[in-house]
Formats: sequence, C-alpha cells, structure tokens
Amino acid sequence: STEALVRAPLPRELLKVLGPQSGSKAAAFTEAFLGSSLQRPGNHDLKNLLTHKAVILGYARPKKQKTKRSSKRAKGLTAQQKKALKVFQIRPEHQRYELFLPLHDLWRRYVLDLCAGLKPTCSPQFVQQKLLKADLHGAIITVVRSKCPSYVGQSGILLQEFKHVFKIITREDRLKVIPKRNSVFSVEVNGFVSHIYGSRFEQRASERSAKKFKVHGSIDL
Amino acid sequence: MALQLKDKEAHQRLNYLYQAAHCVLAQNPKNVELARFYCFTQKTIARRLVLRQDPSVKRTLCKGCCTLLIPGVTATTRQRKKRKTSFTVVRCLSCGQTKTFQNNPDYRLWVERPEAQLELQEQAKGMISQNPLRCRSNSSIKVTPT
Repeated sequence: STEALVRAPLPRELLKVLGPQSGSKAAAFTEAFLGSSLQRPGNHDLKNLLTHKAVILGYARPKKQKTKRSSKRAKGLTAQQKKALKVFQIRPEHQRYELFLPLHDLWRRYVLDLCAGLKPTCSPQFVQQKLLKADLHGAIITVVRSKCPSYVGQSGILLQEFKHVFKIITREDRLKVIPKRNSVFSVEVNGFVSHIYGSRFEQRASERSAKKFKVHGSIDL
Repeated sequence: MALQLKDKEAHQRLNYLYQAAHCVLAQNPKNVELARFYCFTQKTIARRLVLRQDPSVKRTLCKGCCTLLIPGVTATTRQRKKRKTSFTVVRCLSCGQTKTFQNNPDYRLWVERPEAQLELQEQAKGMISQNPLRCRSNSSIKVTPT
C-alpha cells in the first residue's frame, strides 16, 4: 500500500509549485550546478602549470606543532601566543561607556569599605594612605595637569593600568591611552578629591601593593 | 595579629579584582580580555605578596591564560570516565587548557579539614611570640657571609 502512495500522482494544487520545471530553466540550472560542483579537466591549465610552476608530487601532511612540554601541565602562554590571542586588548565593539558603569559602582563600594565608611571626619592623610595601596580599576579619573595640553581635561572610567600608561574610556565611548609621566590625575570619592602624580606612579598595578612609597619634598611635573 | 592586619588591604584588593572580573563578564560576556586582565593582576599581586588564595577561587581561573572560567561562557564542563572513576573536565575556550577534577563526594580539601584550622592557629600564635626573635636572627645571618 505504501508503494502505491509513493507512486500516486501529485495533487493538482501542488503541481505548479513542486512539479518539474520547464526545459530551458532546468537545463540552465543543471549546467550551473555541474559547473560549480565538478572539477574541470583543464588540459591547458595543466600544461601551463607544468612549464611555469614547481609541482609537488608527493602530498605531505602539514606538520603538527611540536610542543616540548607535556600538554597536561599548564605553564602559561608564550609571548607568541599572547600576541596572537591579543590577551589584554579590549576590542572596539566592547568599548561602550555604559557597560562599565556597574564596574564604577562596584569600585565606589570597594573604596567605601576600604576606608571604613569614608565619613567627612576622616583625615585626608588616612584616606590617601588607603588609596595609595587601593586598586584604581573602575575609578573615574580626570587629567588635571599635564605637560601635553591636549590631555588636560580628559576624564573617564579607568579600565586598565599598565606600567607607563592608563587606559580610560570616556563618556563618548572612546578608549584613551594616557601616559602617566608628566601628568597629574585626580580621583574623586564622596567629596574627597585626591591627586595622583603620574611620574611617581610609574609601575605596574600589581607592584604597587607590595612597594613602599618614599616621601618626596617637592614634585614637579 | 599585626601581620594579618597588614595584609587586609591586599586581601580586599584581591577580592575587588575578582568581583570586578565577574562584573565585567556579567555586563558583556564577550569581553574576556578585560576580565582576564583583572584576574592576571589578582594573580600577580597574590604572587608578590605571597598570599594564599582559596581553592574555590583558584579553580575558577585558567592556569594557562588567567581567564575567569564560567561554564558556558568562557569554559565548557564535561563529564569523562576512565576505568570506573569519573571526572569533571573544565576546558578554557580561549586557550584550550583543561582542568580535571575527580568526582568524589567524600574528598575533603586540606583547607576544609579540621587539622588545617588547628595548624593555622598555631602558626598565628608562633608569629606573635617569635616575631622580634626572627628579626634578630635574620640580621645575624646577613652579617656572617661578609
């Protein structure tokens, strides 16, 4: 009975849609399809290839990358792999100011926790001591003074702190790279405004919590 | 106790960095780079100040590229079996590094065992009583080679 069902003619309504196409159209399609799917013999091409190009007769598999270390133990990435991965580069499509507002909120709470509430009665020295060792990622920083006038007034959320450079994202969704040297930055928390002298801050974010700061009498830019 | 108080700020910083990485990934799951940067900073701070991180934190960081491992977002979690013992395999999606944990509900980490707590307390006591002595012995050692 199933065989009969298969062999049954198509209903008339569907015949127009599903039925065989008219001759010329079908032929054109078949030709295009075969042309794309079949490889051409191309005798003339072969001749050209033989005269002008070296032909490798034996196919060699692409070599596997040899790794000396055992695959199971992790030893971090090599510099080459880091470069290829672009480990710490923020891609342009992620550079949006509003995405980092929660980060700033988190930072604000972190600083309040660190400075024990940060009441207006706190001495500025105490707050500064705490901020010196605190993490600055997520803070809104502003360039107050700089040797290069075009940096002055730039403000935004600090995303990354490197040895010589701050990467901040501005309100206009632009990632700015500002060198620490020869600039003064300001950080504002709950009415406390502290200034950071970039020239004295030239170290990695991770090294700051371990290092002791010396008191300098006078600081010039 | 003085030693623990001194490290409090650093611990707070580590905590903040870990939370910041989570916050960034929650906002934008594709922004792996920034989360990785925060975790990398966290790792280097812990290394420089010789602070021990809890295993639960360490298990969510990739050893190869310092990415925060969140199943389904930056890592895949699979169950594997090998000779009747089953494992949980966590694979980092950006560098391919795997972590393997045996599925054993009776297993207790060293930190979770009662002996560890006892040892910690003893260490803290020893630190308080021996601190001045230690400084002296250190200085004498430095003098002898010259």
